Amino acid sequence: MIGFLIQRLLQAIAVVFVMSLIVFVGVYAIGNPIDILIDPAADQALREALIRQYGFDQPLPVQYLTFLGNMLTGDFGESFVYRLPVLDLILSRLPATLELAVSAMVIATVVGIPLGIWAGYKPEALSSKLIMGFSVLGFSVPTFWVGLLLIMVFAVELGWLPSGGRGPTQEVLGVELSIFSLEGLSHIALPAFNLALFKLGLLIRLARAGMVEVMSSDFVRFARAQGLPERQVVSLHVLKNIAIPIVTVFGLEFGSTLAFAVVTETIFTWPGMGKLIIDSIMVLDRPVMVAYLILVVILFVTINLVVDLTYGQLDPRIRTKGAA
Amino acid sequence: MMKSFALAGALAAGLLAGTALTTQAEAQTLTIGVRAGPESIDPHWSTLGSHAEALRHIFDTLVGVDENLQLVPALATSWTPVDDTTWEFKIREGVKFHDGTELTAHDVKFSIERIPEVTGPMSMTIYTKRVAEAIVVDDYTLHVKTNGPAPTLPNDFIRLFVVQDDIGMEPRNEEFNSGEAAIGTGPYTLVSWEPKGDLVLERFDDYWGGAPHWEAVIRKEIPNDPARVAALKSGQVDMINYVPATDYAAMLRDSSVETFIGDSVYILDIYFSFVDDLPIKVQVDGQEIDENPFQDARVREAFDLAINRDALVRVVLEGLGKPANQLMPPDFFGGSMDLPEREYDLERAKALLAEAGYPNGFEIDFQCTNNRLPGDAAVCEALGQMWARAGLTVNAEALNGTVFFPAVSRREYSMWMSGWGTLTGEASYTYGSLVHTNDPEVGLGAFNRAGYSNPALDALIQEAAAELDDDRRAELFKEVTEISMNERILIPTVQLQTVWAAKPDFLEFTPRIDQETLAHHIQPAK
Repeated sequence: MIGFLIQRLLQAIAVVFVMSLIVFVGVYAIGNPIDILIDPAADQALREALIRQYGFDQPLPVQYLTFLGNMLTGDFGESFVYRLPVLDLILSRLPATLELAVSAMVIATVVGIPLGIWAGYKPEALSSKLIMGFSVLGFSVPTFWVGLLLIMVFAVELGWLPSGGRGPTQEVLGVELSIFSLEGLSHIALPAFNLALFKLGLLIRLARAGMVEVMSSDFVRFARAQGLPERQVVSLHVLKNIAIPIVTVFGLEFGSTLAFAVVTETIFTWPGMGKLIIDSIMVLDRPVMVAYLILVVILFVTINLVVDLTYGQLDPRIRTKGAA
Repeated sequence: MMKSFALAGALAAGLLAGTALTTQAEAQTLTIGVRAGPESIDPHWSTLGSHAEALRHIFDTLVGVDENLQLVPALATSWTPVDDTTWEFKIREGVKFHDGTELTAHDVKFSIERIPEVTGPMSMTIYTKRVAEAIVVDDYTLHVKTNGPAPTLPNDFIRLFVVQDDIGMEPRNEEFNSGEAAIGTGPYTLVSWEPKGDLVLERFDDYWGGAPHWEAVIRKEIPNDPARVAALKSGQVDMINYVPATDYAAMLRDSSVETFIGDSVYILDIYFSFVDDLPIKVQVDGQEIDENPFQDARVREAFDLAINRDALVRVVLEGLGKPANQLMPPDFFGGSMDLPEREYDLERAKALLAEAGYPNGFEIDFQCTNNRLPGDAAVCEALGQMWARAGLTVNAEALNGTVFFPAVSRREYSMWMSGWGTLTGEASYTYGSLVHTNDPEVGLGAFNRAGYSNPALDALIQEAAAELDDDRRAELFKEVTEISMNERILIPTVQLQTVWAAKPDFLEFTPRIDQETLAHHIQPAK
């Protein structure tokens, strides 16, 4: 177990280094942020002075090593645009994104898995065909388009829900959250559903596929032959066996929802991390971009770790292999 | 901090109540959906227009501008040159900061000196670079010594925000953002702000210019265009800025919104590279050639004559623009009212190309931005098609500004289009930057990426830039404008217009040419 954790940690560190290098070289290749930020009234001397002040005159390896050195001491630098420590800036957006991602995952799971199980249990029923049709829609229609449609219908035409922004926040266990008020919920409803739609489609199909496969397996037939009631067959034997692929996808999808809720956050003006990263890319705010991607790497590594540990709980064979 | 959150919450709640039931409270709160907001509450951090626009609510500038960018008294009631290198500013008496202390010349001097210490990558020092020394003569008189004659110093000071002289020289961003250090003399006080979030303001009753109408103002940052329009239509905000042209066309038929249109300072200009060795070579019949056709004035004129500006405005910009014949609106200081409108003459364009030795035209790449100004990519692609009718093959390529601007500064393009706004309202800003030879010695021509150089014109620009007599200076710059435009050093195409939209019969608003949306200049509808 300890060995497994150490191995994961080393992997994470390696990925962080590679990511930071790729981002750094990529941004360097685009060019100098000063050329985007500078005011047209500036003269040549001012431009040179600014380039020197921010260290953009140094060769790439020197710039990278300086950055790396600072990062190792926990200093990700200050945002060029906001003059705030990058880590504080990103972490201040985390609760908003987390709230949105968790709500989306809850919607996708609570709705998607039962629908998928039903569709797999009664594959020929009309309701199942409707569910499958909906799931295809869920992941083939672009997020931004659905987002705009939701705004047009529920905010502009019907006026039921706000078109964007986040509701008033209140402090819950030291974190500013908005989902504990009715108004907050009204703000999160549309973006959360928009973000959930793709995952909803995915989970329906996964649950259905697993269900169809397991229902035709020998042990289900034996269980039925034993005379076990149908409910017990499904809940005890079938669900446990379809859980592993669902947990894997759930974990990865949760990670990508957190990291890349960009489109939804932009359309619904949700003040989360995705919107921050887009704003930062637009002005090549390098410290924010690099720090954000590094946080994403850490996030994915953590989620994968949790997923692996959950496997062990679900399937004893994996547990014994891991221990060996 | 807690208090400000509570107040923000109360304001937001009040707003919601206001949108549901039309109450008296609604008339007292103005909610604006803006495309961009400030980067910090420190007014000396950034020169960005959206930064200045937001902070004008909290702080005042030494010199003001009216809706046409012409100078008007603000914290300074007058400014006069005392000698060639000294300006005297008379400071308004009886102006109160938000904490009740009175404004004096010491605060102004401190603000000038603070800028170089705390400014960021969009450096405010462009506004103080002519200042050699600021001297307090008495509490209400300030002398500013300049390094050489500086006739445009008052124009520079339209962005000189005045802060209190006891806040210290070091950057104190977090204290500004939390409101602790955000003490200005402006019409509103800061309630709360977070980066890219809402800016919440409360009326300052002791404002020297008379208390503004709205008791509370909330500026919500909604950068996404469709989202901003939806926020207005769903009643979340009372007003929005930068309505996209496509939505404007629909709004004209929609009685649930009212639109306001104003000219902007932004003009889309075409740049040609004048260097001997073009970074992207011109092709004739599929063969790269070594010479640079843009050095020939006839070729530049042919490109100009092949532009149908009326079609650009009517079709491409949905009517939201005006044909341009110079780099700034003609009535700005130093512009020319005598320049004729640009002609559209395809036959003459073809003849000129043939005369210059390109009877079958040539092929060239043409770059522009796709996210900087409304309609930039559409205009650029339409231009490519217009030139095709004159026999030219112009490959228009619209790029994100993040890619475009660094490449332009590395001089990687042979021909490109970029927007330029004369934000100081006078010609030295524009012609000094774009037309003068790129000369770091005199600090002019910094944005002359085309490599154009004309010593006679340079001498004229330098003479004009040092002339303190306003009439004479206007005359000299008019000459600079006419020579540059007749030479077609770069080609202006269209002047863009800006659209605001609001709930119908809710407010009265006069568009400003600098595109600013200022709550204290907005009145309720009668």
